[in-house]
Amino acid sequence: MDCAVNLSNDSAIRHMKNKPIKISKIIKLTNLTAAILATTLLWPSFTMGKEPSQTVGEEQPPTQDYIRTTVNNYFIPDVDVIRMDNNKLSLINALDDGRPVMMNFIFASCSAICPMLSHTFMQVQKKLGKESQNVHLVSISIDPENDTPAVLQAYAKKFQAGSQWDFYTGKLESSVAIQKAFNVYRGDKMNHSSVILMRAKPGKPWFRLEGFASPQAVMDEYRTMLENSK
Amino acid sequence: MYREFCITRQSSWLFLFICLVFSTVINAKSNSNNNDLIELGRRIYVEGILPSGKSLQGTRAKSVQVEGDAAACETCHRRSGMGSLEGNIVVPPITGRFLFATDDNRPIALVDPRAPKNVTRAHAPYNEKSFGKALLNGLSVSGRNMNALMPQYALNNKEIKALMAYLHSLSAELSPGITDDKVHFATIVTPDVDPKQSDVMLKMINAAFSQRNAAQENYSGRMRMPLDLIPRTLRNWDLKVWELKGTPDTWNAQLEENYRREPVFAVISGLSNTTWTPFHKFCEQQKLPCMLPSINLPPQQTSFYSLYYSGGLELETKVLAKHLRDLGAKSPKRLVQIYRDNESGHAASHALTEALRDSGIQVIDRLLAGQSLDDTNEALKDLSNEDTVMLWLDPSDLSAVGKAATKLAASAIYASGIFVKDDFSAISKEWLSRLHVVYPYELGDKRQKNVSTLVKWLKTWNLPLVNDRFQSEVFFNLLFLTDLFSQMLDNLYRDYMIERAEDMLSLGSNVSVYPHLSLSRGQRFASKGAYIARFDENGNLAAESEWIVP
Repeated sequence: MDCAVNLSNDSAIRHMKNKPIKISKIIKLTNLTAAILATTLLWPSFTMGKEPSQTVGEEQPPTQDYIRTTVNNYFIPDVDVIRMDNNKLSLINALDDGRPVMMNFIFASCSAICPMLSHTFMQVQKKLGKESQNVHLVSISIDPENDTPAVLQAYAKKFQAGSQWDFYTGKLESSVAIQKAFNVYRGDKMNHSSVILMRAKPGKPWFRLEGFASPQAVMDEYRTMLENSK
Repeated sequence: MYREFCITRQSSWLFLFICLVFSTVINAKSNSNNNDLIELGRRIYVEGILPSGKSLQGTRAKSVQVEGDAAACETCHRRSGMGSLEGNIVVPPITGRFLFATDDNRPIALVDPRAPKNVTRAHAPYNEKSFGKALLNGLSVSGRNMNALMPQYALNNKEIKALMAYLHSLSAELSPGITDDKVHFATIVTPDVDPKQSDVMLKMINAAFSQRNAAQENYSGRMRMPLDLIPRTLRNWDLKVWELKGTPDTWNAQLEENYRREPVFAVISGLSNTTWTPFHKFCEQQKLPCMLPSINLPPQQTSFYSLYYSGGLELETKVLAKHLRDLGAKSPKRLVQIYRDNESGHAASHALTEALRDSGIQVIDRLLAGQSLDDTNEALKDLSNEDTVMLWLDPSDLSAVGKAATKLAASAIYASGIFVKDDFSAISKEWLSRLHVVYPYELGDKRQKNVSTLVKWLKTWNLPLVNDRFQSEVFFNLLFLTDLFSQMLDNLYRDYMIERAEDMLSLGSNVSVYPHLSLSRGQRFASKGAYIARFDENGNLAAESEWIVP
């Protein structure tokens, strides 16, 4: 439901392999008809189990690396999360601390998608250099019963997470509520998808990168987002 | 002339002998070379270590570097080489049977169970050149780009050959326990189990097996669901009961004898009130899947081939310890635990002592010698209202202690959900109302909803409902096994079965007494928490805490 509501106000761009479409070419959907059209076109790819499978290592047509949409607002649920240092805090406070946020959803025993997302964050962190101190990297576990703070600490260490990169766990119901709010809930952790969300500050739109955005693409999107939020 | 003939004949024998020795030496050397190559390939595939000893390095999406075990093929393609499915990303099988298959020997695997017709696609067989291209340039044998998740590696010819040799050897034969027309399973019963309980379990498994085998015999190519479109060998399921005798130190020999007589593909369910370690070790040693037994003392040291519903009594101790620690300033100063001098009693009390180490809570152990008033008074003596009590006792002992505890001054009294087995009939209402139960199962309506399918199924088969805990565990296991086999098709490899179980366990309907069950790579306990529960005014056990995951 969140997806339908949010996307109705969205603009969407698609980055084809090595052919990013310039922002100026973004189709602006402003009227109701266009909104319905956008929702109709985008909805199937956000529905559980309806996504066409991509095959690693077998023949397939060239695919886009990622799709960016902007979402005016996600309704952040008022739930508590537990940071990997065992501190309990509200998700709203964790996200609204004034810093730009980059967020993904992972679980520690995931073998394919999450390591890719985490490696991407690791390299974005490097690329940001000193600036990384001003950005809040957030990874939320979608398998919180297994991903205890201790498990997340070990995971963070593996990906050389700096002090600005926080991993969160909590109750299973809280994790599901957060996933639903950000439209990444697919019914089960094994159905999860690769999404990076970023926002310049509270009240500003979220950039949603769906697919495999390279560290450089994430950096470029981040710069664009900061520029747009001025 | 004759002499000449003799010399010639002698020479030819000598020549033949030399040839034989020579070819044996060459063969042995070639086998040894091939084994060496396979081992080099295994290290690349499993450990991400190159023959030079350096770490394997790869690049995903031309931008993300991965190294060592993170770059190893096994990370995504798994130990069996049969691949996996994550989100909408299909990681295909890459064993030799799939990669190098031609039209006349092409196997089929289901790559996305959500779309039952989504099976492995035909492609030209890879050879050394095209395999190298796939690894180095990310191009499939058809010349298409592979998914961004597939790393590109800088491997030399020797390393490529080694990987090919390993993939040829990987999941090359069906696992033991599979014959042309049967899949053989075993279940385990230890001597301490009540024969009535094991009888119920065996009747349930036999009923499910005959239901499944009958459905298969009537299959005749009819299509009931899209999965039926995919051809497979029809094999009946066969159950062997491994009933152990004597003491645990003799069990391994009995297991080996049973297994030698008839190897099985997997052990399913099983009942025991005592140690499970001998079976855990045996399954690991034989690389034999040991699927979800109904037990209370699973080894906490996990391994690849044994899956469990929960951590059993040890999970209860961790939950109680977390609950008591989280009370903060209200944490008790002293906890007195009362237990019987038996394996479960010692295991639980020892684990709780460990779980409360460094908590500031002093733990006192007391053995309950018997059910006489003297025994129970002895166990309860000198307790003050500052103390917390944990009772690792079965319903009969709990009732006896209750009779002596009318004036017990303890601040809180806890009991073990596993020990009490939902049998509260002999315990007085007053005593029940004082107990907090550490309860690793679902409660109330949700529990009834979960087990409703089991209840209907038992009725259909005219089987009794004796205890919904272990019966729902057996039932869940049987349904899960059916799902696993329908998706594995003819790829009956034990490692693949464990990998599919890891990925699939949380996807089916939950017909168990647990709130939810979930596994993943390396996870071996499917349910991970417990409630602290109390009896309400209607005499029903209800949660007084959230689901606590230690």
